Amino acid sequence: MKKSLLVLLGMMMVLWLAACSGDDSSEDTGGDTDDTSEETNNDSDSEASGDQVTLRIAWWGSQPRHDYTMEVIELYEEQNPNVTIEPEYASWDDYWQKLSPQAAANELPDIIQMDLSYISQYAENGQLADLEQFLGSEIDDSNIAENTIEGGRINDGLYGFNLGSNALSFHYNPEILAEIGIDEIPETYSWDEYQEMAQQAADAGYYFDNGMQADVFFNYYLRQNGARLYAEDGSGLGYDDDQLFVDFFTIIQEQVEAEATPTPDFLAQLAGPEDDPVVLGDGVGIFQWSNQFVGLEDMSEHTFAFATPPGENLEDGLFLKPSMYFSISENSEQKEAAAAFIDFWVNDVEANKLILGDRGVPVSSVVQEEIADDVSEAQQAVFDYVAWAEDNSTPMGAPDPAGAGEIIEQLTNLSEQISYGEITPEEAAEYFRTQAESILGN
Amino acid sequence: MQAKYIKKIIYHLIVGCFAILLLYPVIWLIMSSFKQSEKIFATAESLIPQPFILSNYAQGWAGFGDYGFDTYILNTFIFVILVLIGHLISCSLIAFGFARLKFAGRSFWFAIMILTLMLPYEVVMIPQYIIFAQLDWLNSLKPLVVPAYFGHPFFIFLLVQFIRTIPRELDEAAIIDGCNTFGIYRRIILPLIVPALATTSIFTFYWTWDNLLGPVLYLNSPSKYTVSMALNMFLSNETVSNWGAMFAMSVVSLIPVFIIFFIFQRYVVDGISTSGLKG
Amino acid sequence: MQTHMKQNLWGYLFIGPFIIGFLAFTIIPIIASFYFSFTSYDLFNAPRWIGFENFKKMFTSDPRYLHSLKITFIYVFAGVPLRLLFALVVAMLLNTASRAVGLYRTLYYLPSLIGGSVAVAIMWRQIFGDDGIVNLALMTMGIDPVRWFGNPTAALWMLIFLSVWQFGSSMLIFLAGLKSIPQSYYEAASVDGASFFQKFFNITIPMLSPVILFNAVMQTIAAFMTFVPAYIISKGTGGPLDGTLLYSLYLFKQGFEFFHMGYASAMAWVMLVIIGILTSLIFFSSKYWVHYESEGGR
Repeated sequence: MKKSLLVLLGMMMVLWLAACSGDDSSEDTGGDTDDTSEETNNDSDSEASGDQVTLRIAWWGSQPRHDYTMEVIELYEEQNPNVTIEPEYASWDDYWQKLSPQAAANELPDIIQMDLSYISQYAENGQLADLEQFLGSEIDDSNIAENTIEGGRINDGLYGFNLGSNALSFHYNPEILAEIGIDEIPETYSWDEYQEMAQQAADAGYYFDNGMQADVFFNYYLRQNGARLYAEDGSGLGYDDDQLFVDFFTIIQEQVEAEATPTPDFLAQLAGPEDDPVVLGDGVGIFQWSNQFVGLEDMSEHTFAFATPPGENLEDGLFLKPSMYFSISENSEQKEAAAAFIDFWVNDVEANKLILGDRGVPVSSVVQEEIADDVSEAQQAVFDYVAWAEDNSTPMGAPDPAGAGEIIEQLTNLSEQISYGEITPEEAAEYFRTQAESILGN
Repeated sequence: MQAKYIKKIIYHLIVGCFAILLLYPVIWLIMSSFKQSEKIFATAESLIPQPFILSNYAQGWAGFGDYGFDTYILNTFIFVILVLIGHLISCSLIAFGFARLKFAGRSFWFAIMILTLMLPYEVVMIPQYIIFAQLDWLNSLKPLVVPAYFGHPFFIFLLVQFIRTIPRELDEAAIIDGCNTFGIYRRIILPLIVPALATTSIFTFYWTWDNLLGPVLYLNSPSKYTVSMALNMFLSNETVSNWGAMFAMSVVSLIPVFIIFFIFQRYVVDGISTSGLKG
Repeated sequence: MQTHMKQNLWGYLFIGPFIIGFLAFTIIPIIASFYFSFTSYDLFNAPRWIGFENFKKMFTSDPRYLHSLKITFIYVFAGVPLRLLFALVVAMLLNTASRAVGLYRTLYYLPSLIGGSVAVAIMWRQIFGDDGIVNLALMTMGIDPVRWFGNPTAALWMLIFLSVWQFGSSMLIFLAGLKSIPQSYYEAASVDGASFFQKFFNITIPMLSPVILFNAVMQTIAAFMTFVPAYIISKGTGGPLDGTLLYSLYLFKQGFEFFHMGYASAMAWVMLVIIGILTSLIFFSSKYWVHYESEGGR
């Protein structure tokens, strides 16, 4: 049955291709040569027409990012008249919707903005090019920390070039903190001390935080206890003792019960981040990634400050997370030219004066210094925190394995069910292990 | 006389009040587009913008990168018109075939057609994308427009149902007058299904205008983007979304659809009476 | 024989575009998706044949699947009749020849025009929010406010409300149908002294039945495939507690978030069978209640 179906399908495909692709592809090359010759006439003086390169680059984001990225592209095209860059941008949801059929059809753009949560999926399936070969040649990595570059490593290859770093942090409102009777959040504080402070906030009628994103902070908690969420080779979970799961989610549950963290149905009612108790001044702070500080300041009338997440083993828990990557697709025919653009992106000072850390704290130390005067105060606070975290953290380890998306969803659902009181942490721990092992196992 | 007057007032009272109830969300949307972006959520319960600003419209209209919102609207218009022409021609022909002509395999093909409606697009999307990639149709309107010229099951079925309500005596009269099959389609059926064709136009216009997945998949160059794609780009999953501009442009993009509906709804309702059909 | 051939020729001439389009753009993807449903396929690597594993998993070891099937049934069987009833009542109200009615029709259709946009999601969140207008109304009636987005059952009903609110397209089709009922039938009935209800059941319903059939079939199919409202209202999660995880949303997640395209295809084919059975039931029953003027009554 399998064979006959395959044959049938194959025959149809062949018929299809024979009927249509022949003349179309010739038409296409015709079109392309037209394009190139035109461009040669227009802007190249000394360049040989054979060097004309057209690069497709895709990214997600919102309005300001589209605007400045276009400016950077123009700057690059000015300096490299033989290169034409075709931008393809979209919102986050639309972007990933677009990318998967492109991958299936071998039509991926040359340069792809990548996210930590998808990179394994694309890299392990041979969609992305190994960037190792370009280090030191097309891409100058002399001013970039080894640790930062390693953030794009999956198994043996470097499949994404890290564009910036984020770290976990607590963004709090100092005024409200004073109001609940706490002068200062110490640099390190235990989980017990965290719960005490939270109780103080609850007693004063404030939320202390908004809860913790299950997958991110559970991983952080595990790291503090010498484990991690996923095994280093991605073949299973990275912790053996389910008690860790129980302990962490019990804390989360107690926070909700103490009314120091909003209930999940309250959080579900919020229309958007603008509606958040922290933004409105009804909460002390929020646990999130360092780069989100800028948005928080923009949204709220209040001002905020940086603190660290809880736990005594801060250094083991904290890590620098690549905010996003530029990857080069394996089907690209101009990998060197694509790599050269990435080099420009991370190392060029003028370009980074346009980017201003929007894609994460710049990875090049030189760039970071050069643009220090141009960035906003909030952005500078982020730079400072990440610089501090660089010295007070441990390496991230391998990025999330393929299949992580499903696991994150399982964990988020379970955490939700725990907060709703539908399931005990013990039951959830066991269920999560069987589910996760079966997802990662196959 | 008086009773009739009172009845009329009651009718308008009920229908009018109900309209306001149904429209509250729409009014909320429009009023919010005049609020400052950061105040939309804080003052959600109030309909009056305080202060009243127009800058959301200016900001939204400016668009992204090199292309303003006018480009997106123009692109969408071209897209919609091409699809609309395709649907009107192809669906009415096909529907006439299914509804009026007796031929071998009619039920089979009709069943196949209905079947194609039942499979979610998500699972045929990837193979279809590969076909269009092989044809070298990516980054153009072709994958979105060409299929419209081969009919759309929803509208074919709709028109079939309307044609079946038209008495057959009219066809027979036309045959006596010397019309061939195409003549029956052209002279008898087509004029009588104007309301259904108007309905088809309205739906096609609105669905195509609103279509997000198709353009997202097949249009790569920002110069070709449509309104629905642009609206999503005001949102951000990382930082602050520009709600004000998004709402403003949502309102702007409602206007053409609103106008088209207002024009065509008359044909939905008046079509038959002007054609002078007697039952 | 000759006329037979001629008839066939005319028939295929008219439906030809459909057949060509079907063969060119649709049949290969359909066959491919059928094949995928027996495979493990992650979009990037070649599909791997696994027989009936996907189907077995669905019904034996995937509680989320069964849950999404259940809530989809609730959504369809509560939402479709409500929506159709609502659309029919409004269509009848607006089926009069008054100048203001054109405006009313447009106003009533407006909610359907803003259907898929993200703006709707935001608006809907405000209206069903903690101090939104719905909860205010409930409180003035002495009913406790509801956490619409926080309670799985309430969230599903909210989705149903949203679908009923967007009744415009069914209304429009009903209107077109109502308009094609010859006025003379009603006049004759009035002469005979028929009441409003007699006219409604003896003229309106039979004459409108082909259109009712159309709406019933199409709305059922569309309701099973509902994706956008669930996606935007739950911000893509299907939450709270999977309360809005409609079939298509779960299918989408399996296919494009978890990259189990094989499993998603299998889900799609199961859905096709379910919808197929339901629509055939509607079609078979139509012999008893749908009246085609062109076929001389029943």
